[in-house]
Amino acid sequence: MSAHELPRPIGGRLLASPMPLLTAVFGLSAAVIVYRLFAGIGAVSNMTDGFTWGIWEPVNVVVFTGIGTGALAVALLTYLFNRGEYHGLVRPTVLLGAICYSLGGASIMVALGRYWNALLLPVIPYWNLGSALLEVAVCVLAYIMVLWVEVLPAVLDGAAASASPVWSSIGRRWGRRLAWAMPYVIALAIVLPLMHQSSLGGLMLLAESKVHPLWHTALLPLLFLVSCLSMGYGAVVVLVTVLQLEWSARADLALFDRISRVNAVVLLGYVVLRLGDLAGSGKLRLLGLDGFSLLFYLELALFVAPGVLLLRPATRASLGRTFGAALLAVAGGALYRVDTYLSVYRPAPGWSYFPSLGELAVTIGMAALGVAIFIVVCRLFPVVTVRDEARPGGPP
Amino acid sequence: MRILRRDLLKGAAATAATALAGEARAREKVEPEPGAVGMLFDSTRCVGCRACQTACKVANKLPPDPVTAAGGVYDAPVDLNSRTKTIIKMAGPDAGHAFVKQQCMHCVDPSCVSACMMKALHKEGHGARRLEGEQAGTGVVVYDRGTCTGCRYCQIACPFNVPKFEWFEAFPVVVKCELCRHRVVPGATGPAAFANPACCEVCPRQAVIFGWRRDLVDEARRRLAAEPGRYNGHVYGLTEGGGTQVLYLAGAGVSFEALGLPRLPERSAAQFSESVSHAPYLYGATPVLLYAALALVIRRNKARQDAAGQGEGEAR
Repeated sequence: MSAHELPRPIGGRLLASPMPLLTAVFGLSAAVIVYRLFAGIGAVSNMTDGFTWGIWEPVNVVVFTGIGTGALAVALLTYLFNRGEYHGLVRPTVLLGAICYSLGGASIMVALGRYWNALLLPVIPYWNLGSALLEVAVCVLAYIMVLWVEVLPAVLDGAAASASPVWSSIGRRWGRRLAWAMPYVIALAIVLPLMHQSSLGGLMLLAESKVHPLWHTALLPLLFLVSCLSMGYGAVVVLVTVLQLEWSARADLALFDRISRVNAVVLLGYVVLRLGDLAGSGKLRLLGLDGFSLLFYLELALFVAPGVLLLRPATRASLGRTFGAALLAVAGGALYRVDTYLSVYRPAPGWSYFPSLGELAVTIGMAALGVAIFIVVCRLFPVVTVRDEARPGGPP
Repeated sequence: MRILRRDLLKGAAATAATALAGEARAREKVEPEPGAVGMLFDSTRCVGCRACQTACKVANKLPPDPVTAAGGVYDAPVDLNSRTKTIIKMAGPDAGHAFVKQQCMHCVDPSCVSACMMKALHKEGHGARRLEGEQAGTGVVVYDRGTCTGCRYCQIACPFNVPKFEWFEAFPVVVKCELCRHRVVPGATGPAAFANPACCEVCPRQAVIFGWRRDLVDEARRRLAAEPGRYNGHVYGLTEGGGTQVLYLAGAGVSFEALGLPRLPERSAAQFSESVSHAPYLYGATPVLLYAALALVIRRNKARQDAAGQGEGEAR
C-alpha cells in the first residue's frame, strides 16, 4: 500500500458547524450535572427506589459501550483473523470506542450517589469478587485506558509529522516503541470487552424476580456478548458511511462485504440462541399478544431483518442498503439492552417510570460531547483515511 | 520455545488484575451462620398499631416523613424509604386485610451482598472494613457508607426492594434496617448481646419477636403445630430465596404473596448468578490463557501485515 492511502488529519476550522450546536447541547447537560451535585439525583431525574437506574445506566452505559465495541469488532477482523485490509478502519473505530466508553464511564460518575468512593475501586482488598458490577467497573476502567493507548498511534503520527523538530522526534521515537508494544495492548483490548460485555448481561441475573422471564435467562451473559458484536459490526459500517458522506472518507463496499457477512452470522446466531433458549426452558408458551410479547417480537425482528438482509448479495452490493441494515443491527442490540435493563424490569407492583427532561438532557448531552470530541480529534490528527481524489489539493 | 515462554509470562503478568476480577469461587449453597439472629413476624397477632414504626424512627434517629392527606399532615409513610426502615402495611381483601411488617429480611445469602462492589453491604464481620462494634457470625446485613459508591445495584438486586436511597441529598447514603445492631444490651448474654431491635421491644402483642434464628424456626413450627387452624401451615423464610433471617407466619387461607412477600425459588439468586457468571472463567484461567493466545497470534499477524506494507502507518 502506498503512503498516500494513510490516514490524514481532516483539518478545517475546529468550531465549524455543527460544533456550536453540539457545545450548546452539552452545555445544557453540564448545567444539569452541576445542579445534581448540589441538589441530589432525585432533583434532576425521575428515578425512584423502584426504578433506581433510570435511563443513564441502560442507555449511557449499556448502549453507548455496545456501540463502542465497534473497536472490538474491527480488532477481531484485522488482527485475529489477519485481514490487513481493515487497517484503515482501526483508527476511526478505536476512537469511537474510546469516546463511547469514556462517556459511559463519565455518565456512571454522574449517576453514582457517592461518586467520590469510586476512587477506592483500585483497592483490591475491598473487592467483592462475587459482584458482576465490580467486574464491569474494573474491566471498563481498564478498557478505557487501553482504548486511549490505542488512539495514541494517531496522535504520535501527528506529532511525528509536525514542523517542530522536538515534537517530531518525540512522535517518531514513541511511535516506534508503541508499535512494538501494540500486539500486547490489542490482545488486552479484545479480552477486556469480552469479559465486561458479558458481565453487563450477567448483572441482571441477580434480578430474577424483576426481569420478565422472556428476558431473564442463564444465557444473559452470552446474549449480551453476541449483541455487542452485532452492534459493533453495525456501528463500524454506520460510522464509516457517515465519515464518507461528511469527509469523503474511504468507504469501500468490498470492505463492508465481509463485515456484513460476519454480522449476518452474528445476528442470526443471536436469534437461534434466543429462540433456542426460550424453547429449551419451555418459555415459548409465555408468548402472546401482550405488551411484553410485542416488545419481544419487535426486538427479534430487529435482529432477523438485518441478518437476512445482509445475507443477500443485493443488499451488500449497495452502500445505502448495507448502511440501512447496519443501522437496524445497532437498533436491535440497543433495544435488547434497554429492554432487559428497563422496559421489562418491574421492581414490584405500583412503580412506574418515565425519564425526566434532566435525565434526557444528560443522555443527549453526553452523546453530543462524543460527536464533538470525535470531530476535533479527526480534524487535528490522522485518524480517517480520505479518498485521494477528494483530498484538498487532489491526487499527487 | 523461548519466545513462546516469554510471551506466556508477559500475558500472565499483564492480565493478573483482570483474572483476579474473574476469579471463580466454588459457589455452593450458603447455610445460616451459627450465631444467626433474626425476627419472627406473626401476621395473625399484628393489630397494626405501628408502635414498631415509631420505635424504629426513634431508635435509628430517622427524620419524620410527613405525608399530606385530606388536608392534614401525618407522619405516615406509605412505603419503606430513606426515612423509614420498617413499615406496617395492610394487605388486600384476599388476605383478610391482615397487617404485614416490612423491613430488611437479612437473607441467609443476600442478593445485595452479592451485588455490592466493595462490600459496603455485607454480612456482619465480613466487610471490607471492620465497623465499630461489628461481631462476626450474626448474619446481620450491615452497611458501610465508607465503601459505598451509591451505585444502587443493591436496589436492583434485592427481591424485597428493601435498600433505599437518599434521592435529594448531595451526599446520599443507602438506608435499611440493620437489626438495631447499635442497641445491644451491655453485659447481656444470648442474642441481645448481638442485636436488639426496637420494633420487637415495643410490640404490645409480640407479633414480632427477636432471637436466634434457630430458636425462631422452632417457635414458628411450635405455633403451627399448636394451632394448625390458625395458620396457612408454612413458615416464610425457611427456604425462600435461600432462606431469610426474618421469618413470617400468615393466617389460614392467606398466601404469603397476598401479604406482599414475593414467591422465590429455594436457591438464592446470588448462588444462581455467581455460578453462571463464574463458570466460564475456570478459576481465572480463561482470561489469562485467552490473553496469551491472542497476544501470540496478533504479534505474528501484525508482523506479517507490517512486512506486507499494510501496517498501521507508524511514522516513517
